[in-house]
Amino acid sequence: MTDAHRYAAQNYEHFKNNWLELLRIPSVSTDPAFAADLRRAAEWLVEKMKAIGLTAEAIDMPEGRHPMILGSWDGAGPDAKTVLIYSHYDVQPAVIEDGWKSDPFEPVEQDDFIYARGATDSKIHVISQLSAIESLLKTNTCPVNLRILFEGEEESGGETIGAFITQHPERVKADVAVISDGGIVAPDQPSLCYGLRGIVTFEMHLEGPKRDLHSGHWGGSVHNPAQALTEIISQLHDSEGQVNVPGFYDQVRSLDNAEREVMKGNLPWLQSEYQDVTAAPAPWGESDYTLHEKVGARPTLEVNGISSGYTGPGFKTVLPSRALAKISCRLVPDQDPRVIIQSVTEYIRQITPRTMRISFENIDYGRPALLLDRNTPAMRAAAEGYTHGWGKEPIYERAGGSVPIAYDLKDVCDNVVIMGFSYRGGGAHGPNEHARLSMFRQGIDAAIAFIHTFAKQ
Amino acid sequence: MTTPFEFAEHNAKRFQTELHDLLRIKSISTDTNYAPDCQRAAEWLADHFQAIGLKAEVIPTSRHPLVYAEWTGADADATTVLVYGHYDVQPASQDEGWDSDPFEPVEHDGKIYARGSTDDKGQVFAHIKAVESLLQTEGKLPVNIKFLIEGEEESGSENIIKFVAEHADKLRAEVCVISDTSMSSKEQPVIVYALRGIVAFELHVYGPAHDLHSGMYGGSIHNPAQALAEMIAALHAEDGKVSIPGFYDDVREISAQEREAIAKSPYDNVQWAADTGATLPWGEPDYSIRERMGARPTLEINGMASGYWGNGLKAIIPSHAWAKITCRLVADQKPDRIAELFTKYITDITPPTVRSELKVLSSGTSATQVNIEAPVMQAAIRAYVRGWGAEPLFRREGGSIPIVSDFQTKLGLPIVMMGFGLNSDNLHGPNEHFHIDMLHKGIKTSIAFLQEIARVSS
Repeated sequence: MTDAHRYAAQNYEHFKNNWLELLRIPSVSTDPAFAADLRRAAEWLVEKMKAIGLTAEAIDMPEGRHPMILGSWDGAGPDAKTVLIYSHYDVQPAVIEDGWKSDPFEPVEQDDFIYARGATDSKIHVISQLSAIESLLKTNTCPVNLRILFEGEEESGGETIGAFITQHPERVKADVAVISDGGIVAPDQPSLCYGLRGIVTFEMHLEGPKRDLHSGHWGGSVHNPAQALTEIISQLHDSEGQVNVPGFYDQVRSLDNAEREVMKGNLPWLQSEYQDVTAAPAPWGESDYTLHEKVGARPTLEVNGISSGYTGPGFKTVLPSRALAKISCRLVPDQDPRVIIQSVTEYIRQITPRTMRISFENIDYGRPALLLDRNTPAMRAAAEGYTHGWGKEPIYERAGGSVPIAYDLKDVCDNVVIMGFSYRGGGAHGPNEHARLSMFRQGIDAAIAFIHTFAKQ
Repeated sequence: MTTPFEFAEHNAKRFQTELHDLLRIKSISTDTNYAPDCQRAAEWLADHFQAIGLKAEVIPTSRHPLVYAEWTGADADATTVLVYGHYDVQPASQDEGWDSDPFEPVEHDGKIYARGSTDDKGQVFAHIKAVESLLQTEGKLPVNIKFLIEGEEESGSENIIKFVAEHADKLRAEVCVISDTSMSSKEQPVIVYALRGIVAFELHVYGPAHDLHSGMYGGSIHNPAQALAEMIAALHAEDGKVSIPGFYDDVREISAQEREAIAKSPYDNVQWAADTGATLPWGEPDYSIRERMGARPTLEINGMASGYWGNGLKAIIPSHAWAKITCRLVADQKPDRIAELFTKYITDITPPTVRSELKVLSSGTSATQVNIEAPVMQAAIRAYVRGWGAEPLFRREGGSIPIVSDFQTKLGLPIVMMGFGLNSDNLHGPNEHFHIDMLHKGIKTSIAFLQEIARVSS
C-alpha cells in the first residue's frame, strides 16, 4: 500500500464530510434563480483546494454564466508529466415534489448509500478526485504536475468553458485529461468508457389560434395545436423506433465486428440494470442492435418535455392557442450537430400542417460525439487504476450520455480518459439520485493508482 | 309613472357598480382552493335577492352551494318562470395574457373586463335587474319567478343535477330561461335551440418507473411523451374525423331543412378567421364551418404535459405523460357509451412498451335540442323585438350546459336559451369581457320576456 493510499484510508470520514457539505449547496445551473448557490459552491471548492496545497481560483464566465474553477500544482518539476482532472460541480434541477423521498439538497446516509441531487452526477467525482490529490500532496508522493478544472454549467450546455479552453489552452494543457464523470456499469464491475454520444437540443413552438378558445364554441373548426404537436411528434419515428428524418443516419459510422465483440462485454450488466432501473413495461428501439449498441452507438431523437393548454387541477375546456416540445438528439460519430439540427428542423417544417405556425427556439448545437482509442498508455493507466480500486479489471463501454468538455479537452491534451466512480443505477437527473459510499472509497484509491501508473509510463 | 324600462335606464350605472362587486369574487369552481370564494359569491347573491324583494336561500351541497330565490306573489293562475344561471367561473390568472387583473373589473371601450363578466355573472345579473325594475315600478311581477343559480357549471354540475332530481316540486314551473349562450353580433340576437353535451377524460401514459437520463437510456426506452403523441395522433383521421370506432354511430344527422337554415346564417370563414386568429379552418370537410362548430361531435385536447418544460433544458426521458381531453357530443350520443368506446380504443392502441390509463372525469352531459315552434319561443321572439330592437335568429351552440338536459328531461320544461353575450367575449380565455350596452339591452329583453310569457299563458 502506498503512503497516499494509507492517508486516504485514515482520512475517509473527513473526505465523506466534504462530500456531504458540497451536496448541501443546491448548485442548479439550468435555472438562473440558483446563481448565488453556484457561486457559493465555487467559493467553497476554492477554499478546500487551497487548503490542500493547490493554487485555485474561481474564474467568472461571460454573460453571467456560472464560475469555472481552475487549480494547479507544479511541485513535481518541469520534467514530470502533467495530469488534468476535470469534473463539474453543478447539478440538474430537483424539487421534492418530483418524487424524492427526502429533501434533494439535504443528503441522507442510509447503509452504503448517500441520497442527494448531485451525489452521483457529479459531486462524488469532484470530492473523490480532490481526496486523491490531498492524499498524494499531504504525503509528498505526487509524481505528476496537476491541473484542475471544475465546471459550473455542465448540465446547462457548457458553452463558455469550451471558449475558455480554446482561448487559454496553456492553462489546461496536460499529457492526459481525466474526465471524471459518469458511472461504471455495476457497483462491483468497473468499466472504462471510450465513447460518448454528442447532443443537440431545441424547442419547437406551435401556434394555432391567436388566443386560447372555448372548446365548445370553436371545437371541430379549429386545428388544436396540442393535437397538431402530437401529429408532428408521432411522425418523427417509424414503427421500428428509427428516427424518421431523411438523412438522419447518413453520417453515422457503422460498427465493425471487432468493436461489436468488445461491446458485448458489458451486455449482462446493462441488461440486468436496465430492467431494475427503468422497470419499463417492455424494451423498445432498433431491433438490429443490442442494448449496448442502442444506448451507446446509435443516435436518438428524444422528447424531453411537452406542454400545452391547461395543466392545473381539474379540467378547463379550452382549445389551447399554442403547444411546446423540448427535443434533444443524441449523436454518434460522425454526425455533425449543424447537419442534424438542419435536417430535423427542415423535416418538421415540411410535416407541419398548414393550419399551424411553427418556430424553433433555444437551438443549442451542443457537441458532436467522441470516440477514444482503447490502446493508449493513458487508457492502460486508467484500466490499472480501476483494477487497483476495485480488484477487478474493467470492461469497455460506449456511454450514451454527452460530456461536451471531453471534445474540447481532446484538442488541448494529448490523451483523454474518462473515469467515473459512480454507477449507472444512481438515478442521475431523476428523483432520489444516490451514490455508494464504498464506491466513493474505491474511486479515491483508483484515482491515486491512476496517477502513480501514468507517471511511470 | 316610471316604466320598468325607464327604471332600468335611470339605474344603469348603479347596476354596473353592483355587478363589479360580484365579479371581484374569485368563484373558480374547478380548483378546490377557491371553495371559500364560491361560498362568498353564493352569499352575495342571496343577500342581493333579498334586498330587491325575493325570498332567498344558500343551499349547501357536498361542494359549492346553490342559490335559490323566488317571488310567488303573482295571480293564482300565473305562469311560473325558472331562471337558471351560474356564479362560478373558469380559472384565470393575469400571466395568461390578461391586460388587467381578471378579478378587478375594468370598464373601457364600452366593455367590462373581468373573468365571469359574460360567462355567466353578467348574464344572470341582467335577469336579476329585470326583476328589480319590475318590482320597483309596478310593485309586482306578471309571473311567479324562481332563480336557481349554481356554483359548479364549469366543473361538472354534479350537485345541481342531484338537487333537480330530488326537488322537482320546489322547482315546478312552466318554462325555464337560461342566459349562458352567445349572440352572433351586438345587433343580432340569437336564441339557441341546441347545445352540445360533454364528457371529460384524462389520458395517462406511463413508461419507466421514474424519469431517466436521456443519454444513458435514450434509444432503448419508448419515451412516454412520444407514445402519448403517437396515441393522440391516432385519435383523429386526416380529414379531422374522430377515429374511435363507433364514435359517430348514434349521432343525429342534421336535417336538410336545418342545413339550409344554417347555410343562411351570416357567419362565414372570414368572420371565423377574425374571431379565432387561426390561419386556416380545420375539420370535417363534408360539413360547413357553422355545422362543425355546433352540430358535430368533437374530441379536443384541452391540456397536455410531460417531462420538463420550464426554463433551460433537462435531458430526461420522462416517466409519465398525460393529456386532458373532452368530447363534445350532439343529440342522441350518450356520454357513458362514448366513454366506453374511447376506453376500449385506448386499450387497443396502447403499445406494449408503455402502460396507459383513461380516467373518466365526470358522468358527462348529453346534448340538448329544443323545439323552435313552442309558444314560449314565440314569446321570446317578441321579447327580443321589444327589448333589443331586433328579431332573433335561431342557432345551435357548440358549448355545453350540463344541467340543461336535466331541466328538459327531469322537470319536463321547455327551455329558452336567451344569450346576451358574444362568442368573441373571450369566455374561458384571457381578457374576458361583456359589452355594457348588451347588459342593459339584456335587462330590457328580460323585462319584456316576463311580460310576454305572462300573456302567452293568460
